[in-house]
Order: sequence, then structure tokens, then C-alpha cells
Amino acid sequence: MVDITLSVNGAACTGSPEARKTLADFLRDDLNLTGTHIGCEHGVCGACTVIVDGRAVRSCLMLAVQAAGSEVTTIEGLAPDGGLGTLQQAMWDSHSFQCGFCTPGFVMQAAAFLSGHPDADEQQIREALSGNICRCTGYQSIIDGVLLAAQRNRQGATVNADQRSDNGSNRG
Amino acid sequence: MAAIAAERYTGASIKRSEDPRILTGAGRYVDDIKLPGMLHAAFVRSPMAHARVLSVDVSAARELPGVVAAITGAEMEAMTAPGPDALMALMGWAGPMPEFTLLATDKVRLVGDPVAIVIAESRYLAEDGCELVEVEYEDLPPVVDAAFALDPGSPPLFANLGDNIARPHSRHEFGDVSATFAGADLVADFHIDVHRHQNVPMEGRGCVASYDADPGFMTIYAATQSVHVTKIAVAMRLGMEPDKVRAVAGDIGGSFGLKIGASREELAAAAASRHLGRPVKWVEDRGENLTASGQAREESFDVRAAVSNDGDLLGLDVKMVIDTGSYPGMGAMVPDIMEAMLPGPYKLAAMGFESTAVTTNKACYVAYRGPWASETFVRERVLDLIAKDLGLDPLEIRLRNAAPRTDPPAVMITGRPLVGVTSRESLERVAQLVDFPGFRRRQAEARAQGRYLGIGVATFIEAAPGPRTPEAGTGPMGNEFMRLRLEEDGIVVLFTGQMPHGQSHQTTLAQIAADEFGVPFEQVRVVVGDTDVVPFGLTGGSRSATMTGGVALHGARQLKAKVLDFAAHLMEASAQDLLLTDGHVWVRGDPASAIAVSEVARRAASGPFGADVDAKLEVEATFDGGEGGWSGGTHCAIVDVDVETGIVTVERYVAAEDCGALINPAVVEGQIRGGVAQGIGAVLLERSAYAEDGSFQSATFMDYLMPTACDVPRIEIEHLETVPLDADVNFRGVGEGGMIVAPPTVVNAIEDALSPFGVRIYEQHVPPARILELIAAADLGG
Amino acid sequence: MKLPPVEYEAPTTVADAIDLLAEYQDEASVLAGGQSLIPLLALRLARPAMLIDINGIDELSGVSVTDGRVAIGATTREYVAEESQTVADTVPLLAAALPLIGHEAIRSRGTIGGSLAHADPAAELPAVARALDAEFVVRGPAGERVIPAAQWFEAYLTTSRQPDELLLEVRFPAAKQDTGTSFQEVARRHGDFAIVGLAASLVLSGGVISDARLAFAGVSDVPVRAAAAEDLLVGERPSAELFDEAARRATEDLDPPADLHGSSDYRKTVAAAVARRGLRAAAENAARGSD
Repeated sequence: MVDITLSVNGAACTGSPEARKTLADFLRDDLNLTGTHIGCEHGVCGACTVIVDGRAVRSCLMLAVQAAGSEVTTIEGLAPDGGLGTLQQAMWDSHSFQCGFCTPGFVMQAAAFLSGHPDADEQQIREALSGNICRCTGYQSIIDGVLLAAQRNRQGATVNADQRSDNGSNRG
Repeated sequence: MAAIAAERYTGASIKRSEDPRILTGAGRYVDDIKLPGMLHAAFVRSPMAHARVLSVDVSAARELPGVVAAITGAEMEAMTAPGPDALMALMGWAGPMPEFTLLATDKVRLVGDPVAIVIAESRYLAEDGCELVEVEYEDLPPVVDAAFALDPGSPPLFANLGDNIARPHSRHEFGDVSATFAGADLVADFHIDVHRHQNVPMEGRGCVASYDADPGFMTIYAATQSVHVTKIAVAMRLGMEPDKVRAVAGDIGGSFGLKIGASREELAAAAASRHLGRPVKWVEDRGENLTASGQAREESFDVRAAVSNDGDLLGLDVKMVIDTGSYPGMGAMVPDIMEAMLPGPYKLAAMGFESTAVTTNKACYVAYRGPWASETFVRERVLDLIAKDLGLDPLEIRLRNAAPRTDPPAVMITGRPLVGVTSRESLERVAQLVDFPGFRRRQAEARAQGRYLGIGVATFIEAAPGPRTPEAGTGPMGNEFMRLRLEEDGIVVLFTGQMPHGQSHQTTLAQIAADEFGVPFEQVRVVVGDTDVVPFGLTGGSRSATMTGGVALHGARQLKAKVLDFAAHLMEASAQDLLLTDGHVWVRGDPASAIAVSEVARRAASGPFGADVDAKLEVEATFDGGEGGWSGGTHCAIVDVDVETGIVTVERYVAAEDCGALINPAVVEGQIRGGVAQGIGAVLLERSAYAEDGSFQSATFMDYLMPTACDVPRIEIEHLETVPLDADVNFRGVGEGGMIVAPPTVVNAIEDALSPFGVRIYEQHVPPARILELIAAADLGG
Repeated sequence: MKLPPVEYEAPTTVADAIDLLAEYQDEASVLAGGQSLIPLLALRLARPAMLIDINGIDELSGVSVTDGRVAIGATTREYVAEESQTVADTVPLLAAALPLIGHEAIRSRGTIGGSLAHADPAAELPAVARALDAEFVVRGPAGERVIPAAQWFEAYLTTSRQPDELLLEVRFPAAKQDTGTSFQEVARRHGDFAIVGLAASLVLSGGVISDARLAFAGVSDVPVRAAAAEDLLVGERPSAELFDEAARRATEDLDPPADLHGSSDYRKTVAAAVARRGLRAAAENAARGSD
């Protein structure tokens, strides 16, 4: 067991994981943050993606002990309390997801990518997300959500919280 | 109150109710469940494809600190009831029924066959414990292909079957096969192979089984397409009364046919929970999912086509062998559906269909999104091959053969009427959306520069649910049930046995009910996933749009009538004069009379009322599918094949589809795109690969390659105007169509790209190395 | 797929790390980025008794230039090297290869030293190192030594690093004036390991190739220098015919492994295509640079 202290979603956390415990399992089991999902445990599917010290990482390929002293953001901490951030709202508006299992990984990877590439075009977004696997959607609706978020970020638009769709934003 | 707007949700891409929790990590999947005292299970799995089990020694595992139990196959048998595969029993399978145990006892039948279960304080410790279990195996010759399985000399996988025939050879004929073939201008012969690939949902199988010894009650938290099927399967195998078992499901990370009831591992976990009196969680990892959860589509076809010189497909005679793997799944049942669907929307004069199903030392054949899909692959490949032989255009030959819509409707040679089928329209629409002559010019220019572009089309129909037939409404894929209730707070609650795992039912069903009942979308709640509370149901077979959409529509209508009858008493009006819109009941012509539905509900709950007043604002609705109908369409792909490396890029993909009336266009389009992505994956990337000794070669995502955002293009979707058949319910299913028709669409395009080389493609999996082999073989005149 | 039990130490100095290596020898695995090692542990294919986590040894990270060589510390993250202007300016072949390594999240953690010490023959960095005759600086209880790339890659996933040695840094020569580089890769999907990849570097002097370096990924159990092709190219002017012949020479003696993705012949064929394309791109690159 190794004692660690780290910041998760802005809050200081401590734990005593075995050295062999992955960050993904530590988040899910020790901190009860089950939003980060496990899809393969060998670093290919991206479902476990979180942000560590500003970079998207695959939490199944990090040991929890390696995150000591780091700032970790998970899907639960991406948006202001109880709300949806611009990216999440855009993905809702774009019908980005179906079963939702790949979702946290996609959202975190897209969030990390957009923060460094706010003007990315579709091809760049596809390449940036090509390390995240979705089985349900065929990706188009996810890409559209990211493109919409980027557009809204540029416009500084306020979020339309209305449930009813308008013609543009809810089409895949 | 102000003028009441008539809002219409059905047909609009209403944002999903599921998404706020999905997008914030607040979904609740089975691996998210934690119960007090919960233990974790892992399985010792066979490294051999086919072997006798001589001994299993779990003593060292039991000694490991943190391991609470290690249970062998024999011990598991003693604590469970023997029984057939739940799905086969449910589907009424009457053929050979292999006898097997939940955990292997006398022999193992595939790499990954579970031999023992280890239960520990954590999954880490359970896996450590598994490594300490010693199993002695005695090698048996592996049966790894259908040819050997058909050989009576092959060692039978199941002693009680005596051979490796999962379903004996049978042949059916429709129309006059010999006369049709004798009179044809041309008889063409092909052998076509479809390869083994698999569902691969992002979440694997899993459950948390929680047995409470006092009072002897089992709660099973499942990832399943039907909580009732899970409950029945668990009760059967554990020898428990069904009313002592409750199955509950929350969010489910996809399934595509895989999670259908309770697998051997899930049942073993449940038995372990009862044995220990503590909750036991088993969630499979990706290695288990790829190796042992089940696979699909390994089928081979000898096809004879009787053709006229003008391109009429007069008859088909097909001999099929399906490799159903080891333990029973649905493989043996697939030939019947394929046979029924093989004619597609075409006018055949005759058809012969024969099939044999074999068992092999591979993962069991499970339902995978359109289990019968190979019939479309075979038919649509054959049409293209014939078109090439006759010098016909692929659109032309399909238009020639597609049955026109007549009244009475044309009937498939296998019996079902092609009522309301819009295949011709879908072909014509694709011809409008894709400039074929323009493409041919571009293709010629590209060839001159050594670039190989190709275009392919394919057409399909899907019985989603299919036209009304005399047998409609019977069996597990029969009638749909729903309970609808107006709660005291004015919320309309729909209790359905549907088990969404990406289908967005909590949104689509609420849209329909909101419209039909007359409340805002936000005032409807859809309850799923608890056998204590929902009626029997199963999500699969693309049934829910029609069956559940229909029962929601009619049920909401019935509930509304009840509510208005009750309101009539409150408002001292006649029910016929009452309207229910926008969550309010009001007297026609008198908006000031409006009272909130919630007020009506509150009043109904605060009885008692006289015997002549029905204040129970609840209905149990049943729907048999109404007039039903077909879904279908035509897809078109344009590909770019790099003939130096074999890499194929799908440059453009167009789908003209008809799934009846759309409940939620974004949901429909998502289903189509996901299915098409799986089809592209099947052709270019995905293969469940076995070596000659039965060892499994694609047990990680490094070897089983899934399509990514760089592999699937924008998929352009046109919704065709449908032919309404029913007065009310014209929603048809769309879940499986994309996956059914995409593989032949893409293969047809690849063959077109490679036509300068004389390449013909008789298989579904064409990875880069295979493309180069096909070109080389064609060059050699092979 | 949970990792097996393993001891863990996170030394903060090179000396401490070497002490641990000396003690545990081949029972220890060095943990840097973990992007290759942790999957092996999860699959229980690797069973070290001890994980020596070197991410906390600050002196092992960084990019610097000395004596016409770029020295990259072993624990330098791939994304740091990718974003480094120094690397882009002085080792363009490395800069070309880095974005092809996996996906962004892999490069967030993966390290230059880790990838090169893991030595997957289908990976990008080993081919780059081999093409450029990079130098590997290791230190053990007996002292420090510098190993040229030709001797570094010994066999499949095997380098000449001794079990008690730690890789400290990798040195890449600065590209000469008029160098054109290209990293070509044929992979099943974007971001995958190469079926075949080629690191190519050409120097054009007055339109004539004065230096040629070609190294393949994915054609053997180690990255392979195409020496025969290099010999052919030097002294010649770029042309399609020249590159065709060079591609033939580069691949005729190859005996690539067969696997799920292709037969040996398939890889040979692809290697030739990759060689033609890589040479064309490198030559165009060089010509552009000298305009």
C-alpha cells in the first residue's frame, strides 16, 4: 500500500492503494467516482480517459500511485456543479451518444483537445478522437457535438436550455 | 388560461432524457454497483480448445488471503439445477439439445471455457486466486472448422449429441426449383463465405447477484436485453421459484444481441452468491468478452442462381453451413430466418434452401444485430456478380428484379407479403442522390492515374416487425405489453419490459405518450428494468418502434379515455366534451374550465368514490403490432482502394431508408449510422480469428480491430416517404438494418474498384492483405 | 485484466534507481510512461517482482542541444518532444514521426526513453533512432556507456541494456542543411502500430543525393536499416526509376514476420510501396528546403 494525496475535481483526496491498482480502479472503487468507465484495460478504447495535470490520459494505463500530487479531472468534475458545460450541452443538442458507456472518455478527450485546438476542423477532430472507440453511433453525432461546442465557444453563445430542438442543432 | 398550443413531439428530434446523466458520469452501469459485503468473481478459463478435464485443484486458491471461495464445476453442478440454454428454451427450440454444465466438469470445449470460479474481496485478488488453481487437461483433437465438424469421425463436443451436428441437414423448396433452373438461360454457381466476427459492446457482460438467505430471495442486477428473461433463467438454473427472484437493470453499455438473458458465467455468479449468502459481482474484462462471450456470422454458402439473359433472377438454390461454435446460442435457429428472408424484395420464381449447423471448439454463436444478415450479403453479392456476367448496371438489375408494389401485394416465394415495401423508391432515390454517370467519369480518370475508386449498392428489407400474419402476437417475439398510470403528481408513467441499451426508449416512448395523452414531454416518465414493476418484454429484433411505440400510443389513448371519464365526474361534463391538451383537461369551447391533469390525479387518489366511478387511473395495454410492415432501403458506398497496400477508404456513404413514420429522426439516424459502422468494421477490420489448434488470436483490441472515427465517413441519410399501413402505428424498426446491408454495399464497391483487375469477391472480410491476394490471383487468372 | 502483485519503488535519483536495478536485475521492470508496460502487466504477460518508477527523477527529463546533437532525457514525454521547437528545428525526422505514435493520450504519458527501451520493432521511434544512428546513454553500477543504435536493438523487445543499467538519454544528430525527411506508415487504422513504416532522410547537395538514411519499422524483430538501398541512392539524382530500384533493393532480402494482419509477402510488398513513397516525400521535402 502506498499513501497518496492528490487533487480530484478540485478537492484534495487521500488514499492507500496497492501499487498495482490503476488510476481508473482507484477513481471508481476508492473514490466512488464511477463516471470513468473501463472498456479494455489495455489502453486502446479510451473509455477511461481523464485529465491529469492538464493532459488527457488513459487512466487504465496509469497507476494510482503515479497520480500522487497531481490534479485529476474526471467527467464528474468537468462542468459547474450539477450543470452541463458547453461541450456537454452541445453533445446533448447533437444527440451525440446512445448507450453512454464510451461517453465519459470521449467527453474528456474532446475537452482536452478543444482546449488546445479551439479552431480544429472536422478532420482534425476525427483524428484526435480516433483513439476512442464507440460501438453505437458511427461517430458522426459525436463529431457534430464537438464541432458545435467549438463554434459556441467561439461565439460565446449562451446555452439554450429548452428541451425542444430546433432544426439545426439536433440533427446528426 | 391562454390559448393552448398543440405540441407535437413525435417526428421531432427531441433531446434525450437519458443524456444529462450520461454526459455527467451519473449513469449507473452494472460495474458501478456496490453493495455492502459485496465480493468479486473471476473465472479460471481453459487454455485448451478441446480437452478432457482430469482434475481441478482449488486448494491453493482457497488459501490465498482475500479469497473467500473457489468453486469447481462439480461443486457448481451440485448447487444448481441442470437445464437447457435459456434462450433456446425461450425460443422453443426442438432440435438437438446439448447437455452441459455451467462450469466445465468433464471437458472443456473452447479456449476460455470457464472451469472454476474464484470469489474474493476484490477482482485483483480473485484473478490472483485463479492463477493458483491447477487444472490437469488431456488434449483432444480440436474441431475448428465446419469441414471437420461434418466429418462423423470428428470427436463430438457433446457426448449426448454423439456428433457435431447442432442442427441436422434439412432442405426446403419453394416453387418449382428444378423446372426454374432447367429453363433458365444461365445458371451461375458461387461459393460465398461470411467470416466470424462479434458484437463487442463497449461494456461487457456482467451482473451483481445478491442472495439474501433470509428470506431466501435473489436480486440480480443485470446487463441484459430483458430483465424478465434474466429472472426466468436465474430461477430455472438455481431451482428457485420465480417469485423469489428479482432482476434489475440500470444503464447498459450496449449489447447488439449479446446480453440476452443469463450466460453460464452470470448464472454461476448467482449460484455463488446464494452459496455464500453475500452479493457477488462478476463483470467480464475485454479478454473474456472477445474470447468467450460469443461470436457470430461464421457461415458458408454454395449458391446456384438461375438467371435470364436480361438479368431476371429466376431462382436461387442455396446450401448453407453455419458454424455455431461450442455451447448453445442461437446459431441453430438462424437458418430458418435466413431462409425466410433470402428472397428479399425480389420476384423469385423458385427457391431451394438447405442448411446444416455444426458445433466446433469456438465461442458460441450469439445473436448479433441482424443475425440473419448473411442472406442479404449473399443475395446482394450474387446480383452484382450476375450483373457483371451479363454486362448490366447494379442499379438496373435491382430495379429489374424488385417487385413493384401491387394490390394485392407481391408475396415472397417464402410466403410473406411485400406489403408497403419501398425498395424500388429507395433504389431510385439513391440514383438521384448519387451521380452515377458522374462517378463513372471520375472513376475512369482516376484509373488513368493509377487510383482505384469503386461504387457499390445493396438493397434490403427487414421484418421490423414484418407484415401482419395470422400468427402475429404469439411467442416471445409476440405481443407487447405496457402498464400506463397517471400518478398523483400528474406524471404519466409508462412501465415497459423494454430494456434500452442505447435505443433511447426513455425519450421516444415519452414522445409518443405525451402526444397521445396530451401532456408536455417532461410530464411523462418511462420506467424500465425491474421485474417487480415492469411487464414481460425484450428489446431485440428491431421490434420496439412498432410494438412498444404502438402499445404506448394505444395505451396512452386508453389512459386518456379513463382520465376523461373520471374528469367528467369532477367537471360535471360529458366525457365527449372534454379535451386533454398541454397537461390540462378542459371543456371544449371553454378554456377557462381547464384544470391541471395533476389536479385530476390528486382528486382521483383522494377517494372513495361510488361504484360507478373508476378512479384507478391506470391501464394495462397490449398491442399485437397492428398492420405491421417492412423496413428497408438501399445503401450506396464509394470507396478508394490503394492497390499497393490494400488499404480501403470509404469516401462516401449514402442511405435511402424507409422505417415508416419516424418517432425521433436523430435516434433513427444514430441507429443507422451505428449499424453501418459495424458493417464497415466487419468488411475491413473485424475478425474473430482462430488458429488451427483452436487457440484464439483476437483476444485484445490490438488484434480485434474496431472501426474508429477515421474509418467511418459522414453517412448521408434520406428518409423515404413511407406507405402507411395502419391507422395509427406506422413506426417500424431500424435497429438492425444498417448492419444488415452495409457489408454487401461496401464489398460491392470494393469489387467495382478492382474490376480492372478482374477481381471477384466471394467473402465478406477483405482486409488489406486479402485485397492484394485477390488482385494477384486475378492477375494469374485464378 | 488486473495487474499481478508487484513491489514498487519511486526513486528520485539516478543513483537510487541503479541501486534498485543492481539488486533486482531482470526481476525489475523500469516504469516510465507505462503505455507499453502496463498493458503487459494487465495481461499478466510480464511478471516483474519490482516496478522501478523513474518518473520522479527530474534530471532524466528534458531536451537540450550540445555538440550538434539533440539530447532527449529518457523520461521526456512524447508530447513534450512533439511540441519542442528544438526538435522540430534540429531533428525533423523525429518531429515527423512523433505525431504518428498512438493517440494524444498515449503521448501524454509515453516517453522517448520508454519507447526506445521497449523496442517494439513496429513502433516509430526505433526506426527513427536506427535511421539517424542515435546514441543511447546508459549508466549502471560499473559506470556509463554510450551505445550506438546499430547495437542497441538486439532482438524482439530486447535491447543491449543490461538488467542493472538505466537509460539516461538518447542523442540524435542535428539534421544537416538541405535535409529532407519523411516518416511513412501503413497502418490498419489511424494511430495503430505500423504494418510497415519507413523513416527516411535524404540530403540533397546541388540536386544530388549526398546522404541517404532509411530504416523500416515492422519488417523484422528489430528496426532495419536499408543499407543496400542507401548505397544505391548516394551520388544519384532523385527520380521515380531510382526510387523504384531503391525500393526493390531495400526489400528483396527482407523476411518479415507473418501475423494476423498479413503474410510475410504482404509486408514485403507494402514495404516496397512505403519505400517508394517515403523516398519521394523526403526528396520533395529536401528540394523544398533548399529553395
